Amino acid sequence: MSASSATTAGVTGPDVRHSATARVNKHKADWRGWKFMWPFALVFIFVFIIPICYAIYISFFKKQMIGGTKFVGFENYARLLGDTQFWSSVGRVALFTCVQVPIMLFLAAMMALALDSMKLHGTKFFRISTFLPYAVPAVVSTLIWGFVYGAKYGLVGSLNDVLGTNLDLFAPNILLASIGNIVTWEFTGYNMLIFYSSLSTIPHSLYEAASIDGASEWQIVKSIKLPELKGSLAITVIFSIIGSFQLFNEPSILQNMVPGNAITTYYTPNMYAYNLSFSGNQSNYAAALAITMAVITMAIAYAVQLNSMKEQMK
Amino acid sequence: MRNIKRIVAATAAVATLVGLAACGSSSNDSSANKGDADKAELVFWGWDSGNSMKQIIANFEKANPGITVKFNNTGTAEKTSTALSNAIAAGNGAPDVVMLEDPTVTQFAVTDGLVDLSEFGADKLADDFAAGPWNKLQYNNKPYALPIDSGPEMFFYNKAVFDKAGVDGESIKTWDDYYEAAKKIRATGSYITNLAGTSGDYQPFTAQIWQAGAQPWKVDGEKITINMTKDAGMQRYIKFVQKLIDEDLVDTKTPNWSDDWNRELNDGTIASLTIGAWMPINLMTGAPDQAGNWRVAQLPQWEEGQQVSAEDGGSALAVVKLSKNQAAAYKFVEYMTHGDGAQEMADTGTFPSLKKILQSDSFTDPTTEGNKKTNDYFGGQNVNEVLAEAAQRPTEKFQYLPYNPYAQSTYGDEVSKAYTKEITLEQALTNYGKKLAEQGEQQGYTVTVK
Amino acid sequence: MSAATTSAQSLREQERAARRAEKERQKRIARDEAAERRRAEKAGFANVNNPRRSVALTFLCAIFAVYCLFPFVYLMINATKTQADFTSTFGLGFGRTFALWDNIVTVFTYQDGIFGRWFINTILYVVVGAGGATLLAIMGGYALAKFRFPGRKLVFAIIIGAISVPGIALAVPQFLLFAKLGLTNTPWAMIIPSLVSTFGLYLMWIFSEQAVPTELLEAARVDGASEWRTFWTISLPLLAPGIVTTALFSIVATWNNYFLPLIMLKDANWYPLTIGLNQWKDQASTAGGQAIQNLVITGSLITIIPLIIAFLCLQKYWQSGLAAGAVKE
Repeated sequence: MSASSATTAGVTGPDVRHSATARVNKHKADWRGWKFMWPFALVFIFVFIIPICYAIYISFFKKQMIGGTKFVGFENYARLLGDTQFWSSVGRVALFTCVQVPIMLFLAAMMALALDSMKLHGTKFFRISTFLPYAVPAVVSTLIWGFVYGAKYGLVGSLNDVLGTNLDLFAPNILLASIGNIVTWEFTGYNMLIFYSSLSTIPHSLYEAASIDGASEWQIVKSIKLPELKGSLAITVIFSIIGSFQLFNEPSILQNMVPGNAITTYYTPNMYAYNLSFSGNQSNYAAALAITMAVITMAIAYAVQLNSMKEQMK
Repeated sequence: MRNIKRIVAATAAVATLVGLAACGSSSNDSSANKGDADKAELVFWGWDSGNSMKQIIANFEKANPGITVKFNNTGTAEKTSTALSNAIAAGNGAPDVVMLEDPTVTQFAVTDGLVDLSEFGADKLADDFAAGPWNKLQYNNKPYALPIDSGPEMFFYNKAVFDKAGVDGESIKTWDDYYEAAKKIRATGSYITNLAGTSGDYQPFTAQIWQAGAQPWKVDGEKITINMTKDAGMQRYIKFVQKLIDEDLVDTKTPNWSDDWNRELNDGTIASLTIGAWMPINLMTGAPDQAGNWRVAQLPQWEEGQQVSAEDGGSALAVVKLSKNQAAAYKFVEYMTHGDGAQEMADTGTFPSLKKILQSDSFTDPTTEGNKKTNDYFGGQNVNEVLAEAAQRPTEKFQYLPYNPYAQSTYGDEVSKAYTKEITLEQALTNYGKKLAEQGEQQGYTVTVK
Repeated sequence: MSAATTSAQSLREQERAARRAEKERQKRIARDEAAERRRAEKAGFANVNNPRRSVALTFLCAIFAVYCLFPFVYLMINATKTQADFTSTFGLGFGRTFALWDNIVTVFTYQDGIFGRWFINTILYVVVGAGGATLLAIMGGYALAKFRFPGRKLVFAIIIGAISVPGIALAVPQFLLFAKLGLTNTPWAMIIPSLVSTFGLYLMWIFSEQAVPTELLEAARVDGASEWRTFWTISLPLLAPGIVTTALFSIVATWNNYFLPLIMLKDANWYPLTIGLNQWKDQASTAGGQAIQNLVITGSLITIIPLIIAFLCLQKYWQSGLAAGAVKE
């Protein structure tokens, strides 16, 4: 019960049932919490909720250069259903999510386990070096990786010269993986820290007890540490899925470096929305796209979360 | 009870939405917004490639003591037009004067975002400007912006590489000559130029088809006709470029404006460019190792003996309709494009579109500091003399689509497939034409595709 | 009436008893842990007092560290090059001239020293925006953890729903809203959106749950302290490590914020560093613009340094800060 229930509850908010205050004010609405909640709620409504309502509102209209703005009901959504460019971009980020997120989270978990094992020389150094990439703005990191990937003047180009190979990381069929590498580089440390901190909450007495009982290192990892990671995994998975579905910065900066139409204006849903809205004068359609994407993202995030909860119930 | 938060949120949202909806339709009477021509605080959005805007504005303020101008450097043309359309949608926060890339002017004119400058007599200035930039800024035969710089398409080439291949750049007069030169240069390992069909190539593309006399789209009020491949000029262009691609005579892997592009210009892999007359400063900082090697010449012609020019890039100043100081704003626009400011702009390296400056002695004077620096990079050639000649050549009439930003950003989606040899250029342009037709229909135009 | 009073009294007694028992238990655990650790030390098992280091594992991690760090090497090498060397020499080799100092000086003097202005702006946004975000997250997280108020259970679902909407599509509505209120082109356009840190809220929620004993709050209430006072004098000090962590995440998020200021700010005097640097980068791809990639690279390096310093200073808090985020019951 202990470890898994607490961390699972963390996903939907800390568990209510075991807390003392829950008993105290069972029958009477307790408004005191709003004294502390309202500033966040106010800014959140202002920055998120109102713009979202507005986006929903305009998604039912259509603005044309000729003819102005008119109410069109669900026309934008209907058009979206048949928009092959949109669905190809959704497919692309879905594929990206399926491959990149597991790799990144696996690396992050491995790194966290290594840092937590107390078997490293210079733990502090490794901790900061893993986390440091998160500090680099996406604009700068994409610039750097663009150089690394360059087949003519970049690092890959030099490698090709030395090895006599003909590697091209900008080739259309490899490009998604190249972008995945940039994202992995940027966010592994971030996720590592979340895992690492959940590991470091395990009381050392637990390991010691286990070792006295004759457990091997591997058994400790398997039966104490990994179950502990499952909890933080749910939240990192959700945040990573949301992040991948909104992929934008990396491909749009790389666009300028990549030949051909490897990165189209509808490469990811977010890029498509951007182009529709800012170059295409179709902000209503872009709003419908955004709302649809939000629904898809939420559905997947909740499905994954439910799945991980079920797993822990066993 | 627990729905309270939702209710609160919904109420607040609705209240704000009403406010937003109301603001969208509030400010449309432009005649009342002329304001005092001699007293205003103007806001001006634009970019500042020569780092000279501050000084020129100070001079304007000195000459017009009642007017102050606040310059906001909005970075790039794309960011500026995005910001402008946001501000127009919001109904406030828009500048009084805005710098736009020439092809985007029509979009804002159609959607009623800009002031028709003939209200202030700008139509009478037509003969003072070079024909190329002037023609691009007309909508319904009315000027909606005045050109602040221009980019007649030029032929820049690296003489060192050309010499090595045994090609005399001076003797390339037609596109056929160009094709022969391309073969010789390819034999040395370099490419005559790069063409990747990305959105960065859109402007050179329009310049080249413009010069070929093509009319890939025609806009007539609310009707658009798209004729991407059957038009005679387009046919000429397609055949020519397809030949270059098929015979591997152009570098199809390097997009314009990438770091690789600069490097290839810098090490001689790309031996020439057909691009706007504003290119010298980009070359001087982007390809410093080739100092002394680059030369500039007139654009090759489609027919021998012709002297047709075309425009690539160029920007203009317009007065925003939301401005409450339109008269003063126009005064500033006039100063920058037609008055003393135009000369100062030219002195700091902007390529002028005012005939008076193009023809002046000081513009081509090789002893001025700016000219000397440029001419040294170009091996002692009098660069501005060549450029000025191009700027005054006749151009065909060419019209951009009213939704040009879309045409530009999606150009690469379709056309680059021809450069990766997935499909032919003709097929790619046909697809592109379909996309443009769809967008036209989405925007309420009646579109015919030929 | 009397029944209610009685039950309240007995409840309070029960609580007191529970608190005593809990204290006893804690003491026992501490004692046991200390004893076990001593025993384990003798047995040679790896722990804080007796780490057994592995060269092989260190080597594996070193490979990963190289992966993480070598882009920084690229940045540092290229910050020493002139523009001419940047376009003409190999990316991981030094240029013909060592121009680091020149570049730094030029970064701070180019365009009348506007980089310094951007730097100060960024610090302003970080102090007010990230500072405010941290405060709001602390208060909100505390409320969610310690009060059962109406609407509480909806909060998480609403937040996940809201951040699932692509930010690109919200940029225009957000812009319209801010423009309507006359806030665009002012620091507020940057600060107000920075005040929301959803991850920070989540973090503080869990942390408050663990770090602030409900019994302590009840005791303070019995003594007649107001909720507000209880929060500031009792809860806040207990939350210190979590606050540092939340602040760190907010600082990085604000420091690197790009898209929103791009839409909201048109006055270069209010730009944060990311927007300013990107404007410099764009200059190379503008017709007639001067390429200044050397300044972009050097500027990027300067931009990252304060964050690295912040990390190093706050490093000791990370562990304990996030720790409570997944602590067991």
